[in-house]
Amino acid sequence: MIKSQAMEKINQKKHQVMRIQNVSLSFGGLKALIDVSLEIYQKEILAIIGPNGAGKSCMLNIISGIYTPEEGTVIWKGKKREKVAPHNIAKMGIARTFQNIALFTGMTVLDNILTGRNLLMKRGLFYEAMFLGWARDQEIQHRKKVEEIIDFLEIQAVRKVPVSRLPYGIQKRVELGRALAAEPELLLLDEPMAGMNVEEKEDMCRFVLDVNEQFGTTIILIEHDMGVVMDISDRVAVLDYGRKIADGLPKDVRTDQKVIDAYLGVG
Amino acid sequence: MIYREAGQFKTSYNSDQAILPIFQDRVAMVLMLLFAFVVIPIVANDYWLGSILVPFLVLSLAALGLNVLTGYAGQISLGTAGFMAVGAFAAFNLQIRIPEVPFLLAFVWGGLWAALVGVIFGLPSLRIKGFYLAVATLAAQFFIEWLFTHFDWFTNYSTSGVITAPPMKMLGIAFDNPLNKYLLVLCIVVLLAFAVRNLVRSEVGRAWMAVRDMDIAAAAIGINLMKTKLIAFGVSSFICGVAGALWAYVVLGTVEPQAFDISRSFEILFMVVIGGLGSVAGAFLGAAFIVLLPILLNNLGSLFTGGQVSTGTISHIEYMVFGTFIIFFLIVEPNGLARLWQIGKEKLRLWPFPY
Amino acid sequence: MDFWFFLEVLIGGLLSGVMYSLVALGFVLIFKASGVFNFAQGAMVLFAALTFVRLVEYGVPMIGAAVLTMIVMVILAIVVERLVLRPLVNQDLIILFMATIGLNYFIEGMAQTVWDSNVHVLDLGIDEYAAFEVGQAFINKFDVMAAGVAGALVLVLSLFFQYTAIGRALRAVADDHQGALSVGIPLRHIWIYVWSTAGLVALVAGLVWGSKLGVQFAISTVALKAIPVLIIGGFTSIPGAIIGGLIVGSGEKLAEVYLGPFVGGAIENWFPYMLAMVVLMIRPQGIFGEKIIERV
Repeated sequence: MIKSQAMEKINQKKHQVMRIQNVSLSFGGLKALIDVSLEIYQKEILAIIGPNGAGKSCMLNIISGIYTPEEGTVIWKGKKREKVAPHNIAKMGIARTFQNIALFTGMTVLDNILTGRNLLMKRGLFYEAMFLGWARDQEIQHRKKVEEIIDFLEIQAVRKVPVSRLPYGIQKRVELGRALAAEPELLLLDEPMAGMNVEEKEDMCRFVLDVNEQFGTTIILIEHDMGVVMDISDRVAVLDYGRKIADGLPKDVRTDQKVIDAYLGVG
Repeated sequence: MIYREAGQFKTSYNSDQAILPIFQDRVAMVLMLLFAFVVIPIVANDYWLGSILVPFLVLSLAALGLNVLTGYAGQISLGTAGFMAVGAFAAFNLQIRIPEVPFLLAFVWGGLWAALVGVIFGLPSLRIKGFYLAVATLAAQFFIEWLFTHFDWFTNYSTSGVITAPPMKMLGIAFDNPLNKYLLVLCIVVLLAFAVRNLVRSEVGRAWMAVRDMDIAAAAIGINLMKTKLIAFGVSSFICGVAGALWAYVVLGTVEPQAFDISRSFEILFMVVIGGLGSVAGAFLGAAFIVLLPILLNNLGSLFTGGQVSTGTISHIEYMVFGTFIIFFLIVEPNGLARLWQIGKEKLRLWPFPY
Repeated sequence: MDFWFFLEVLIGGLLSGVMYSLVALGFVLIFKASGVFNFAQGAMVLFAALTFVRLVEYGVPMIGAAVLTMIVMVILAIVVERLVLRPLVNQDLIILFMATIGLNYFIEGMAQTVWDSNVHVLDLGIDEYAAFEVGQAFINKFDVMAAGVAGALVLVLSLFFQYTAIGRALRAVADDHQGALSVGIPLRHIWIYVWSTAGLVALVAGLVWGSKLGVQFAISTVALKAIPVLIIGGFTSIPGAIIGGLIVGSGEKLAEVYLGPFVGGAIENWFPYMLAMVVLMIRPQGIFGEKIIERV
């Protein structure tokens, strides 16, 4: 029943937002990705899984423009994407979190999330220096949005705490909040649940599903916890040694012989 | 019990985002300004005004400028004095060539030139970080020193190399006595400190701190690293340039490259480190510390030894004490005096309960 | 252009470059083993030279003075490790860098408080002005000697790093602090060794520079010249320090002679920095440095 719903969801949303065609990337002699293609559809939750060193993070870095593929193309909303500066990727509507939390440690929760909205804000040094006119209005107006995100993520109590003092689970949540603040169309989550206990994972799953549902955000996530992956994703892509070996509904991927071999080793 | 924010509920984001959201802080600020603008002019004598307070304020301003760059944007610079020199010489040259220009405008002009030079020497920051960048800013320091020493055009072909700063006059008031000068400097410093405080809590300030804390993440959320760093260089150097002009016009009364050598750059860096990186108050605390310490040491020295010890030795001991304090602060409290102040406030908030 | 004159300037530059390398070497050692950019290296040069020259002035024979100075430098290394490095372990490198600026001030102050700030003549028995002729170019004998000393020191240190147990431990520490700790290399001892070795290098550099310029405060500023050398050669490479020194030395002398007259002279002070900046823009890790890879 649930599965067929998911199927339906995918069929409804066959609208492609991004298409990655035959990309390859290597570091020195190490081939991180070999001829990988992947389509991403609007409003889906796509999980990328694979053993360690399979090239998952690499894939995410290509999508978010930190790496540029040596071969192959990335097509974003029907247009070929050339090499772009990372900050312009965010302006296209792609936001991300990092595997090792990459928060702005010297700043409070509030400031971290507000910084996520920087790209939606105007800059004018004089007005900002005097905190006058639109500069003041802009701060207040964006603060409202940020408070909504803070409410959504249930971190009201710590809004003015420097993030370096927060526990790991909450930091991960703040990082998600910072990515959401930019109101992205496509959200990339690099191991959002790594190192969390069961309760924290449950919370995070709930947030991911809610984001997808409430804001209609397309989500790509890398995750090692198979239970989580199978439960929340609409589609799963499997990488192994830089190649894509499977791509499909969670239940199909789970029974795929190549995937089982990759995880357990071929005997 | 005095320092409590309990019961002060904010009903709008506007009031929560005021420059000093806590009532007691606002009171303290008003009292401090009253003290600076009213009490000090009444009680301080010319020695205090001219030899301690004015240099303190000008150096605070320079430290504030460097703090924007190093403390907030995380770009270390050893070329502060060079940028100050640009400010001083640009202001001087404008007034020498067009005497009708009011001196305040000349200061702004000096700041703008310093900003421009700062941006140019900030360009390497796009590729290099940390002490590699420090080296690039050393290049600025040496190059600027050399430029002003070897091209007579900048010193208006003065044969002695030492030039008197033009007198400061505006709206019929001549700023020629210590009290006048003190009030002038105080106004400029307060205005710029207010501006910096606003900048760092606005969009651009968050961009600076984001670049400082985690540049890759900053780029990933759409912050243009290049622009952000260069704006930090520009704003920082502007403030340093104005401070340099003040140092030449108000403190020294002369414009000379030797006043802006590398030891001045280090001095200002120490103010920022001791005062607190990334804190406006820290710039003032650090400057106060560095300005007062030598005076204290000198007095202590002559007190204990009855003037037996040569001034040379005292200045060497001063070096040692400086060095010790730098290391001490870095070990005990890398966030400087300002952080100690903050901890004190947090304790006061809870007092008399332990937590 | 007069070929012999060019050659003379070039060789003079190369030889003085070797002397920059000597100071740069001290930086490289500490950087390699701890990732710390030791700004106090210049002050250590001054301190070592002052200690040596004052001991000689008190009538200690040269060998004895050298040994005593070395002992003092080892004590300094122990004190620095105990009071500065150990409390700052795991701090940001930039914090450590600033701590060494503090250390620089402290040692400069101490050197001049304990000894004094006069200029002392250091005579190692070599005539500073003797020169010999190659073709029509005059080459300073003293500079050649200094270059020889520097070259020998580099050779010894390279062999030491490559073939002894301590050398291996040093390289391990340089690669990964925690990794080195986990295989049982005592980090603290290593730091003391490294700082002591840097002290030895400082002593040699101090003697060479001291006998050239006189032992005085100015020789601590030679360290500022060593910084561009490091940038150009790479912070982690001993041969890099040598090549960087040669490039800076010859570059600044040639620039001074051939470029200086057009722009008012005395460009020696900033030319190496500009050169270093150009290298930084093209190759941030320096010519021999290891490529910096940032992981996300």
